[in-house]
Amino acid sequence: MRRCLIIEDDADNARYIADGLRELGWFVSLARNGADGIERATGAIWDLIVLDRMLPNEVDGLAILKTLRGMGQSTPVLILSALSATDERVRGLQAGCDDYLTKPFAFSELAARVEALVRRSQFGKDVREMRVADMRVDLIARRVERSGRTIPLQPREFRLLAYLLFHQGRAVTRTMLLEAVWDYRFDPQTNVIDVHISRLRNKIDRDAAVPLIHTVRGVGYMLSADGLAPQTSA
Amino acid sequence: MTIVVPRWWTSIAFRQALIYAALVVLTMTVLLAVFYQQTVGVWQQRIDHQIDATTQRLVDYFEHKGAAALATHITGLLGDGIDSDTEVYTLVDPAGHKVVGNLALEPDILAPTRDIVEHRVVRAGRSSESRLRITHLGDGGVLVVGRDMQDQRELDRLVRRASLLSALVTLLMAVAGALFLRRQLEQRISAIRQTAVRIERGDLAQRVPVSQQQDEFARLSRDINAMLDRIHALMEGVRHVSNTIAHNIRTPLSRILARLRTAQAERPQAAGLPEAVAFAIGEIEDLNVVFDKLLQIAEVESGARRQGFGPVSLNAIAINVLELYDAVAEAKGVTLTHTLDADPVTAGDGDLLANAMANLLDNAIKYTDGGGAIHVDTRRGAAAVTISVRDNGPGIPQTERSRVGTRFHRLDRSVPGWGLGLASVIAIARLHGGDLQLADANPGLIARLVLPAFDGS
Repeated sequence: MRRCLIIEDDADNARYIADGLRELGWFVSLARNGADGIERATGAIWDLIVLDRMLPNEVDGLAILKTLRGMGQSTPVLILSALSATDERVRGLQAGCDDYLTKPFAFSELAARVEALVRRSQFGKDVREMRVADMRVDLIARRVERSGRTIPLQPREFRLLAYLLFHQGRAVTRTMLLEAVWDYRFDPQTNVIDVHISRLRNKIDRDAAVPLIHTVRGVGYMLSADGLAPQTSA
Repeated sequence: MTIVVPRWWTSIAFRQALIYAALVVLTMTVLLAVFYQQTVGVWQQRIDHQIDATTQRLVDYFEHKGAAALATHITGLLGDGIDSDTEVYTLVDPAGHKVVGNLALEPDILAPTRDIVEHRVVRAGRSSESRLRITHLGDGGVLVVGRDMQDQRELDRLVRRASLLSALVTLLMAVAGALFLRRQLEQRISAIRQTAVRIERGDLAQRVPVSQQQDEFARLSRDINAMLDRIHALMEGVRHVSNTIAHNIRTPLSRILARLRTAQAERPQAAGLPEAVAFAIGEIEDLNVVFDKLLQIAEVESGARRQGFGPVSLNAIAINVLELYDAVAEAKGVTLTHTLDADPVTAGDGDLLANAMANLLDNAIKYTDGGGAIHVDTRRGAAAVTISVRDNGPGIPQTERSRVGTRFHRLDRSVPGWGLGLASVIAIARLHGGDLQLADANPGLIARLVLPAFDGS
């Protein structure tokens, strides 16, 4: 069972996250203040720490994060904050957090990011080739084949596919795709990502017996050979 | 220990005037000293010179003709009626008795000196201050030649008293001037201060009265008034924004409440509940987006992101954003074309500029029907670089253009959106020291983002 520590003083918000993560099969522990948080963060091994920025007694979550990183702990940390300004986000990333989510947020967005974080720490960097069903993707030569037939993809489409592949079996949100594939941190007014996905889907899944790219309602997209199977804990 | 500074000393006008007065007094003192030296001093030198010459002549006379002849000569000089008010001659024989002369002798002055000396003596029965040269003659006698300085000293005193008096008058005038100047300045400043006090009390419409004179205070008053106008406009802007925000948030909130209350009034297990919850979630998520966008505009307007500025290629942004939108345009049947100038670079935040460009392109696609055409071009000028998006949609009527970019202002309520896109583009343009220009494309609209060219520093 994967273990998550939530350091958050707002009881409602903490329960909202904890319940959601438990439903996804996580073991969740709660710390309500900075001192308790740092003690538990260093006292046990965690797969993930969800950290609030503004804690009681003027404690800044960033201080906790810096302490952890200073002690050489590399546990993935996701910061939750009502401070959305870009420089706050940059400060968070500089302090060593792995992702930054602003309040209020949809649980689906949090869940998708949490999965991505945990996956990332599992995936090696030296993967050369990936296979899903009858699709073979050469990550070095950037070639995609389905049932032995080469599918020509534009560079950006390839990046989109690769990101979905690395998170296969997990839902990724539109924001995550925009950040990872286009390097942008803004919400376009129109759902441009949807159209890109449908174009990619046209190339990958047309004429195929098993569709690989699926829409996850209210969340985003998922690449999977088994359709929209319920997410299971790894 | 604290030094108590008197109130008048805290007035800068008074201090300045006083310092000026001190300068005037100092200048006067120097002038008077020079004047004194040039009159009294020169005159005294001339007298000494004359005494020396006379002494020399009389000693020569003695050496050639002897003591008796000298005595006769001196008697002649004393009786000739020339300078008889001031001249001093006295001859003393070797035994110490006066032979001839107009001094009542006091033995102690008879010691010979190298220089001319000043003594208070009795000349012709009258006490007087005199300059004397005392010379010992070859036979042991003593010759005294001199000049009564009584009148001279009187003149001295007169000059000194006049000098002192004029210095005093100058000082008094200076102090009076300082007080006058201080009052003048305080009167002008108090007009500004009174306005400031009234504004502080909440009357933002107050302005500093500007006098007809084109002096420093008139200019300062005008500057202050311009600043107050700007603050007033900003306050009005804030009030407007708060009102529209309140309106745009209260409306969805009341919609949510209405739906939830209706669902609550029905039986708990009624089918309407999950729908109402879904509706509420959707609306709240929309509100979230609105908040995010408002906060983003506020963040841009605060200018904090200027710190991360670096050279940004408009061509790279144009290509990237076009690529982001090509799928959407294709799906809608809108053609995207572009022409790029060589290397237009500005100093800025790439993410924000891409955001602005995405907003412009988003609008163009949104308001252009299928079969429409959108053209993006970049241009490099001497001082400015531009990126423009031209569509062949309905355009924006001239009368509407000034209102476009006001938060929550929407031209066409049938098109989805929040009315925040152009507001954010304008905020981003201004952050970069640039501007958003809207022009007629006949038909359609040209939205032009004009930014300062990167100057390499």
